[in-house]
Amino acid sequence: MRPPRPARRILARALLGAAALLPPAHAADLDAVRARGSLVWAADQEGGGPHVYADPDDPARLRGFEVELAALVAAELGVEPRFQQGQWDRLPLLLGRSADCVINGFESTPERQRDWRCSRPYYAYALQLVARRDVALDSVEGLAGEGPAGPWRVGVLTGSAAEIEMRRRGDLRVEVVGFDGTVDCLEQVRSRVIDAALMDDCIAWFNADRFPELRCVGRPFAGGTYVILTAPDTPALGAAIDDALGRLVADGRLEALYDRWDMAGRQQMLLLRDAAEVPPAPRSGLAELMRSTLPLLLRSAGMTILLSCAAFPLAVVLGLSVAVGRLHGPAWLRPALTLYVEVLRGTPLLLQLYAIFYLLPKVGLALPALAAAILGLALNYSAYESEIYRAGLKAVPPGQLEAALALGMSKWQALRHVVVPQAVRIVMPPVTSDFIALFKDTSVCSAITVVELTKRYSVLALSSGRIAELAVVTALLYLAMSWPLSLLSRWFEQRLENPAGRDRP
Amino acid sequence: MIDVLALVAVRSGTRILDGVSLGVPEGSVTTLVGPSGSGKSTLLRCLNGLEPFSGGSVTIAGHRLAAGPQPPGALERLRRDVGMVFQQFNLFPHLTVIDNVTLGPRVLGRRPADEVRAAALVLLDRVGMGRFAAARPATLSGGQQQRVAIARALAMGPRVMLFDEPTSALDPRMSAEVLDVIVELARGGQTMVVVTHDHGFARRAATQVVELASGRVQRTGTAEAILGAAG
Repeated sequence: MRPPRPARRILARALLGAAALLPPAHAADLDAVRARGSLVWAADQEGGGPHVYADPDDPARLRGFEVELAALVAAELGVEPRFQQGQWDRLPLLLGRSADCVINGFESTPERQRDWRCSRPYYAYALQLVARRDVALDSVEGLAGEGPAGPWRVGVLTGSAAEIEMRRRGDLRVEVVGFDGTVDCLEQVRSRVIDAALMDDCIAWFNADRFPELRCVGRPFAGGTYVILTAPDTPALGAAIDDALGRLVADGRLEALYDRWDMAGRQQMLLLRDAAEVPPAPRSGLAELMRSTLPLLLRSAGMTILLSCAAFPLAVVLGLSVAVGRLHGPAWLRPALTLYVEVLRGTPLLLQLYAIFYLLPKVGLALPALAAAILGLALNYSAYESEIYRAGLKAVPPGQLEAALALGMSKWQALRHVVVPQAVRIVMPPVTSDFIALFKDTSVCSAITVVELTKRYSVLALSSGRIAELAVVTALLYLAMSWPLSLLSRWFEQRLENPAGRDRP
Repeated sequence: MIDVLALVAVRSGTRILDGVSLGVPEGSVTTLVGPSGSGKSTLLRCLNGLEPFSGGSVTIAGHRLAAGPQPPGALERLRRDVGMVFQQFNLFPHLTVIDNVTLGPRVLGRRPADEVRAAALVLLDRVGMGRFAAARPATLSGGQQQRVAIARALAMGPRVMLFDEPTSALDPRMSAEVLDVIVELARGGQTMVVVTHDHGFARRAATQVVELASGRVQRTGTAEAILGAAG
């Protein structure tokens, strides 16, 4: 059977996405870089300082120790550095497409050693726990005990070594919350939405003055090294970067750079000199991959369903109320409701989620991420639902309202028992199809730390390197969830076309 | 039962009703006749407040309506005592026939559900629609729908029934079946006001005929006096 349209769209999008994520056949090697005269290095400014960040005094200018490192490396290769922005957890996927190398605090891990070419280390990090001064916590081991409210909620950068470390530690009672940026994460610690954050030591030092309410808890632990990533099929470029780093270490320029950034140059040189090599991870079979990822994907699919099923009924009730208010409410209410609809329809869902999750805590209303996500989706979709219901209410002939009024009903009774039930029937098909749209829009919620199916896919694809296989599995999961909705939508349409002779809706 | 005094209704600058006065005694059948645009339907719809008026007053089934906005709840109380049947039936398409008839008493009354249902079935039998209690309005003919609409209005136990061209949307055979029901009601002593083009009905059932023209009462009298002899 032919899958219905929305389902096919999801599948096609997932497959296209998967194809785009595959490493390209031919990447630009050293000769091409020299001929071009520029080394394109990729990083994510949103990740924050001290790595790469927008200068607060001149946001168009990039700052960070890696900006300076990229300039040094490019100069060693005899070319100009050129910056390429990307989302941190997907930066390696730019290699060979729009970037020659990735310089952005990427830790040397067995998976990265297997899937990419990793340079010699350029920085040795350790993990630092950060918490509010008034939170009773004096070491990482303290996370094994009871948190202020159940398990400790610990923020990490999604996909970072800190996240891997927190998820690996079975001895701690923690709920790991993933963020895309350090500043967002620290803000949430400050406003008590989460209890602590784990990050690379240099990040904690860099932000220490900006967040005076926070303090470093215990000593840094569980270290590793940062490496520059290049594509596996550009060995000459990789070797040239290794040589460049070697010269920067040997002649003291790297040590001077770290000293300029208050990052303990002397200690760095000693740590880098003795850094252990990380062996590449073995490539796992498909069965092994499914065994390790499918349970996680299924759990996140559950989150996608939870978000949709909690947000949509709210959106429908809100939307219907707004529509009734705009058509039949008191005159003073109508402009306010029109404004409500226009603002929510005219601004991106992502910004609305940010506002709810990051701005409301500033006025003392800190919502957990899940509640913020449900509220954001419900508000955003209520605007769309209200427009659908408005059309539905207008499609009910005026004689219906008159007939109900003539029986002696009040306007609200007539709306409730006669007009609204008919409008609801009329709009069933578009409303169901909006449900499918919302269902897919739940992926936006990952921006406020809710891990749903798409986010889980990204994280797993990155950590395992099995981008295409997991894309197909994820697409199939979406399809399995949206197909029944499409069938339901068509069933409603058929009922509407042939309403006779059946029982109540 | 009904007293209309110097009723004035203005729509976009035109006086649709221009000082209409008339009286309807209890148990009588009044038909409103007159050419299109003479104000018959507007007059009828002013009687239960579906349309506002700017001057004069209406007293109906013990309720008094004056010009301007009505006090909260006044129209609802009035309309429970005044049933209305529309030209286009206006049955509720999402409800079955029996649910159409019981909706008013269920929402507005305090009687138990099974009692309301039993009363509705009696009414449906009275209009010859008892067999169709479980049907949807869309499956019925126009004449059948209009008979259900009459039962729906009667379910509130109105003291006055208003009919707004109840047979204009029906072919002659279906008109006849609806008119039979209305005539039967009239014989039972139901006070009613009927707007109609059907002079046959006026001759069969009307106690008085009121002829309107250009928003004024032209003549009032018996069917023979106003409409002349049958033929």
